[in-house]
Amino acid sequence: MKYNYVEKAVQITRREFIGLAGVAAAALWTGAYAVTDLVEDRNKYIKMRMAGLYKDDEKQAVRQSHNNKSLMQMYGKLAGKPMSPLAEELFHTQYVNRMIS
Amino acid sequence: MNILKTFDIQDVVLKHTLPVRLFHWCLVLGFLPAGITGIVLFLRPFSSEGMHLAMQIHILGAGLLTLACICFFIFQPGRVVSFWREIFSWTKNDIDWMKVSGGYPQKILFGKEIPVPPMRKINSGQKLMGIFVFFAGIVVILTGCILYVALPLVPKEIAWYTDKIHLIVGMCLLVAVCGGHIPLGIYNWKEFICMFGDGTIKIKDIVKHNPLWIEQDIEKIK
Amino acid sequence: MQKSYQNHELHNIIQIDPKVCKGCDSCKSFCPADAIEGSYGATHSINDERCLQCGQCLVNCPFGSIQDTVDVVDDVIEKLQDGKSTVVAMVAPAVRVALGEAFGMEPGTLVTQKMYGALKKAGFKIMDVNFAADNTIMEEGTELVEKIQTYILNQPNEHNLGPLPQFTSCCPAWVRYVELYHPNLREHLSSAKSPQGMAGPVVKIYGAQEIWNVAPEDIYCVGIYPCTAKKFEASRPEFTAAADYWKKRGHSANYQDTDVVLTTRDLARLLKKLSIDIQTVEPADENDNPLAEYTGAGTIFGATGGVMEAALRTAYFVTTGQELSTLDYEPVRGLQQVKTANVPLRLKNNGPEIVLKVAVVHGTKNVEPLLKEVEQGISPYHFIEVMNCPGGCVNGGGQPINPMGTSWVGKFKAIFPWS
Repeated sequence: MKYNYVEKAVQITRREFIGLAGVAAAALWTGAYAVTDLVEDRNKYIKMRMAGLYKDDEKQAVRQSHNNKSLMQMYGKLAGKPMSPLAEELFHTQYVNRMIS
Repeated sequence: MNILKTFDIQDVVLKHTLPVRLFHWCLVLGFLPAGITGIVLFLRPFSSEGMHLAMQIHILGAGLLTLACICFFIFQPGRVVSFWREIFSWTKNDIDWMKVSGGYPQKILFGKEIPVPPMRKINSGQKLMGIFVFFAGIVVILTGCILYVALPLVPKEIAWYTDKIHLIVGMCLLVAVCGGHIPLGIYNWKEFICMFGDGTIKIKDIVKHNPLWIEQDIEKIK
Repeated sequence: MQKSYQNHELHNIIQIDPKVCKGCDSCKSFCPADAIEGSYGATHSINDERCLQCGQCLVNCPFGSIQDTVDVVDDVIEKLQDGKSTVVAMVAPAVRVALGEAFGMEPGTLVTQKMYGALKKAGFKIMDVNFAADNTIMEEGTELVEKIQTYILNQPNEHNLGPLPQFTSCCPAWVRYVELYHPNLREHLSSAKSPQGMAGPVVKIYGAQEIWNVAPEDIYCVGIYPCTAKKFEASRPEFTAAADYWKKRGHSANYQDTDVVLTTRDLARLLKKLSIDIQTVEPADENDNPLAEYTGAGTIFGATGGVMEAALRTAYFVTTGQELSTLDYEPVRGLQQVKTANVPLRLKNNGPEIVLKVAVVHGTKNVEPLLKEVEQGISPYHFIEVMNCPGGCVNGGGQPINPMGTSWVGKFKAIFPWS
């Protein structure tokens, strides 16, 4: 035997053990709760901005595009009606093949 | 010394058990690569391949460190409790020990040996280090987990602070370990061999370091 | 020569600053086009050929290492102060709920009147892109209704129509995504331009003639958008409808429909340079400005599901002859990544009932399964709204960077940058 002395065994009372486990659990749970809370709220600013727009929508006297009087006036004076030849020229487009080989 | 009267000059004590020594090895092989690559990641001196390699080593080292800590806590709760009790038990002896810095500066710089208050298994300086490493280690592991696993998920502000805390606490740990713990460990060469070897040390070699531990906390094997 | 860009198109708009980038891989989680290169730990860079210029990486980088390199704020200020240009600000819906953030306000604070007041104080004339959004609904809605008539009701039609399902085309990052990665599906994109595409011609033809009485070539259109990809879109060489219109009528000048684009962040910087504070500026209501008249349908364009809801309100009326009883169409609202709805339409004049199947997608990666269905000819949908940015334009790459969150809308899961 290389050695003839050892350290005396460590005594942990049951009370101490439960206390330790309790504190550890409480700390871990609080930490997890805080982090998951923060993570769940990560989209809050997006929702706030969206809510602002929907509020703007509700405030409007007119809420459908086809009832926009000024827009109808513009059609009257310029393009005539949607998808007319002039509307096709000004308001429609074609798309491009950009595939990189 | 009085203590030596109850002991034989050949008496050997097991100061660090196998699980403890294994844990210490994991800390060495985990923390040191992680700490050094951490500095590399901070200074960013290398090319892409170098930085990627540094990051890979960092993650491996950090992973080993984390895993070792979790296993040690689960399988050796007795050592954890014993450690916790030691680092938080402070008496007048400890204050006095701190006042003379354990006699180390005097011995190293002037070759003078001065009387030092008697210590148990961990001296006062080691107790301070223990408190620091315990909490700083937890912080660095938790922030590291967030940085590795959840960076796109946590709010950007949290990510920014997590990164800063990980950096600062990590650097402090590295300084404490490389500037304090390791040099002093090497200076006390017999202790070094004890921890990295088979955990045993002759009682006559630790009479000056741990007299109270020898008197009260060890027993002869039946 | 860039392969995935046309001549004169702005590109390399979004760039990673190598001095700040830590190689944390966070940005890669948000890139819908896998355009970010660099292994974990190494400095990252953006592959311009693959990049959609959407800016999601920019607004999500925790360290602020990604920049929008197109800065025209000083050019705009110069035009505002040169005494001869008519500088028209074309403001998008999503700007008015986020501009306040750059001046200390909560996200979502509606600052429309203050925004108008600030723009006027700076010297801008105003065109509200919500008007152009209504315009987009009229064009795209009519296109959809004609496709319904042709493909579902088998009626003859006079227009050259693309196939169903129809995809919205107002998001320039999404359009570029289709052109880059699924060009064989581009006929499914609505032929209607985005509101930005329509706003320029409206300002330089209708605005020039009827509203402000100015020569079209003296109008300097400044788009103000929550979007960095709009800088790319405005530079598309085919977006010169106004100049082409006027060339047929004796003019000769060449110009883009939208001259330059400022993001919401750029506008905040411009206002601060001119010492204008949104918190304290005198609000203006623009009630006498025909180009600032908009409906609720136009303003919700900035939210995911908003374009769909706006289109449904009009498509429902045109096909059934009646207005929707509840204008709030809840099934298309919210942050779920793919939302679907079946909209029953009892056609007018005692026509049959058809069920319009619609889908709303945000976060371009989420559209891939739907695109596969379209490619295989098994898509169950008639109309699909796609917005590149999670949450819609309100969370665009040009919005003020908000540190209290990220764009991660998906499920909570561990993301391993390197395993």
